[in-house]
Amino acid sequence: MEDEMLKNHLDMIVLAALATGPAHGYAVIEEIRRRSGEAFDLPEGTVYPVLHRLENDGLLASRWVTAESGRQRRVYSLTKRGSRALGEQRAVWKAFSDAIGGLLGGARPSKNPA
Amino acid sequence: MRREAEDHLREVASAKGGTPEAERCAVARFGAPGVIAGQLAAVALAKRAREAGVAVVAVIVFAYFAMQARLAWYALTQWGLSADARAISAVVAAIDRWAFWLAVLVGAVAVACAYRRQLRRFRLLCPVAAGALFASVLCDGILTTLRLREAAWSFDFLVPLLSMAIEIACVAALVLQLRRMARRMAATEALLGA
Repeated sequence: MEDEMLKNHLDMIVLAALATGPAHGYAVIEEIRRRSGEAFDLPEGTVYPVLHRLENDGLLASRWVTAESGRQRRVYSLTKRGSRALGEQRAVWKAFSDAIGGLLGGARPSKNPA
Repeated sequence: MRREAEDHLREVASAKGGTPEAERCAVARFGAPGVIAGQLAAVALAKRAREAGVAVVAVIVFAYFAMQARLAWYALTQWGLSADARAISAVVAAIDRWAFWLAVLVGAVAVACAYRRQLRRFRLLCPVAAGALFASVLCDGILTTLRLREAAWSFDFLVPLLSMAIEIACVAALVLQLRRMARRMAATEALLGA
């Protein structure tokens, strides 16, 4: 999968990975890898700037917990704003992918795309 | 971030057996430290820019209330001005007003740029807002001097002098914060460009 294409959608991918529940950085990376069928395989550290930026933007919240290993672990979760943003991005992506699918598949595009 | 990265690397290494090879693999998979540090620095910079933007607005609002308080105090103490001083005061007051409203306008645009992560524009606008505010505070100082020069010394002087001192301190603190921001921006650009 082209890295540039992936980077442009990383915010949406990270929000989607956290939609199932709170998780720490490594769990987010593993969730992305699993749900994408191992198609997305970015350097693992690149998820942290995204998590911090989404938290600064109010789309995620974080808290420190003590992991089973005894280490301090930062766990992220979607805020209400984050859930709304994810819903909006899903709708935009669906419309976009339907349109591209129509073009690449050769089907006539609908007059009123979503 | 250090604690997060350490937790991440230890978890990955332990999932793969905890051997030195597993640790090397975990570090290699984490990515280039310089690249990640640059991205994190950019995120932190955006947050600092918003805080600096809020500080610009706060100092402007405080300066406005300090000016209004001094005007109210002059009305209360009925300190007058000679004809010459009134002529100078009118010109300086006009410059003060223009400088202050320029600071408000440019400061508001700078805050909007900070929230939209347009950091280059923010970096250009902040010195303009701070400079306009500095000019306004300087005019306030001249106007205060004109008033106090024509009045007999009394403890009533303490109110305008104290409000001027606080205004000057706030503007100085703001200028220092903006200089620190500018240095951080330059360092982050160097990190991202490396």
